[in-house]
Amino acid sequence: MNLFLIAIGAALVNNVVLSQFLGLCPFIGVSKKVDTAAGMGGAVIFVITIASAVTSLIYTFILEKLNITYLQTIVFILVIAGLVQFVEMFLKKVLPPLYSALGVYLPLITTNCAVLGVALINVQKSYDFITSVINGFGTAVGFTVAIVIMAGIREKIEYNDVPESFKGTPIVLITAGLMAMAFFGFSGLIK
Amino acid sequence: MSSESIRNTISLLVITLIAGLLLGTVYEVTKEPIAKEQQKAKEEAYKAVFAEADSFEEMELDENVLADITDKQGLDATVEEIMTVLDKSGNPAGYVLTVTDHEGYGGDVQFAMGVKTDGTVNGISFLSLSETAGLGMKANEDTFKKQFAGRNVEKFSYTKNGSASDEEIDALSGATITTNAVVNGVNAGLYYVKNMK
Amino acid sequence: MNKTVERLKCGMITENPTFVQMLGMCPTMAVTTSAINGVGMGLTTTVILVLSNMMISMLRKVIPDKVRIPAYIVVIASFVTIVQFLLEGFVPSLYDSLGIYIPLIVVNCIILGRAESFASKNSIWLSMFDGIGMGLGFTIGLTSIGIFRELLGNGTIFNFRIMPESYEPLTILILAPGAFFVLAFLIAAQNKVRIHKAKKAGASVTVCEREEGCAGCPNTFCGGKAFTEESVKREKDAAKEA
Repeated sequence: MNLFLIAIGAALVNNVVLSQFLGLCPFIGVSKKVDTAAGMGGAVIFVITIASAVTSLIYTFILEKLNITYLQTIVFILVIAGLVQFVEMFLKKVLPPLYSALGVYLPLITTNCAVLGVALINVQKSYDFITSVINGFGTAVGFTVAIVIMAGIREKIEYNDVPESFKGTPIVLITAGLMAMAFFGFSGLIK
Repeated sequence: MSSESIRNTISLLVITLIAGLLLGTVYEVTKEPIAKEQQKAKEEAYKAVFAEADSFEEMELDENVLADITDKQGLDATVEEIMTVLDKSGNPAGYVLTVTDHEGYGGDVQFAMGVKTDGTVNGISFLSLSETAGLGMKANEDTFKKQFAGRNVEKFSYTKNGSASDEEIDALSGATITTNAVVNGVNAGLYYVKNMK
Repeated sequence: MNKTVERLKCGMITENPTFVQMLGMCPTMAVTTSAINGVGMGLTTTVILVLSNMMISMLRKVIPDKVRIPAYIVVIASFVTIVQFLLEGFVPSLYDSLGIYIPLIVVNCIILGRAESFASKNSIWLSMFDGIGMGLGFTIGLTSIGIFRELLGNGTIFNFRIMPESYEPLTILILAPGAFFVLAFLIAAQNKVRIHKAKKAGASVTVCEREEGCAGCPNTFCGGKAFTEESVKREKDAAKEA
């Protein structure tokens, strides 16, 4: 399949938060302000893209070669945890401006289930290296789009008179549900 | 490195090693029963799509026809296995196939299908289906699956406006991608049966 | 013996992970499209939770404090993989319908949360019962949400037709948006009860902006917890000063 279609599919049609429910915690926890949401989105794009590349390489060149693909879950989660630490140190030393923009968010992404989820989906769909990276990137862009839109809506909701028991998380979830319905419209984009 | 961090690293390493070894052992031990169980599930599916079957005889796959399915027919599907069905008196009554189509909405769609010697589809039964609940998952309901049974056609297609002929399958509402995957898979199976040597 | 009963009651009722603590919301929303999936996911999680709780309690004096989280993850991931093999081999239909959410149990807040807040401090026996209680509590939560969504969204419960044939199912409820709506109303109902109680007690009525979902999770390793707007702001300020 066309790489472009895979990217669009991952970002919009099968949106990671709105249709697969991965990365829900930061989606609800960090979507109060557009700028923090965008920062989180940037960090997620960065980490998921790198993690997709690394896990894809590890899977093809180590796990498959040694016939130990059953270790994938355990290896992936450790690799992702280590990778995030490494990326953080690397950015701090080499690219301080990028670090100051994304640094705060990095350690918190480790167990974001979206990262592990993408790595596992890449393996499950037997994507090759390039496709895995594109799929990871698309998924992360989808996360960013969703969380930034959500933050924009929440900034407006602040001024609305929400019924008492719906204040806080419930109204966010209702908004997410409506967004998920809107995102259904994208399913016509592919085939 | 301080002695503490060395100790930390070592204990983590040991735990990981033990976990890895344990997993390897469990994998080796369970490999066979799992394979057996899957074999059993497959046989049950074969029985379901060909109730008259008495026994099955394995056949070799024809690589050329398999290549034609993707190259000439343009179907993103493969026939994983084909067996001749023998009736009680030992005569061939048809074939059962395991077909995987890669165009499902939630990944691969795998099913067993039975085809009579004259090319009539006898039935299909899903081995692996992970489509959207409430939409694509409805493919596993009898109303959808039964549409294929008893029809002898060259190629199936799907329609949203009510099936008017034997060729046409009523699409699942809201799940044309799943319908397309299943129809293409069945077509691939039919093509294989009709063109194998 | 009293303590074990208390652990069970705590997990299933007073600290129910779904209805009271609101933990593990990702799998809750993703798999509750039918009652049977809810039961399957709940029991799978229970088995993993019991095993990992026992193992972590057993190793609690061996694991150095600083590397405990990675160590827990290794233990949990191993059990998850083992259970995954077994499901693949023996309950393939469940394996198919839960799909990617089985390996994702590794990052389920409940499991790491119980390891960190209970199993690492208590005996094997108690940890086991804590696991059973919490696991069954989670199963009850998932199953009841599953029953609700399946009944209205498909007209069936455990694949048995309950609603009359003429009932036009609200398919949206078993699709993704439905999961968000059901959960929203669930939390709203909970808030309602809390507000009601507060009013009765005569206290001033403020909807406590409780940190719901993962943010209220005892698992410090989980993204949502550390990740409130305030903590981001604090760290940013600290970075500016430095």
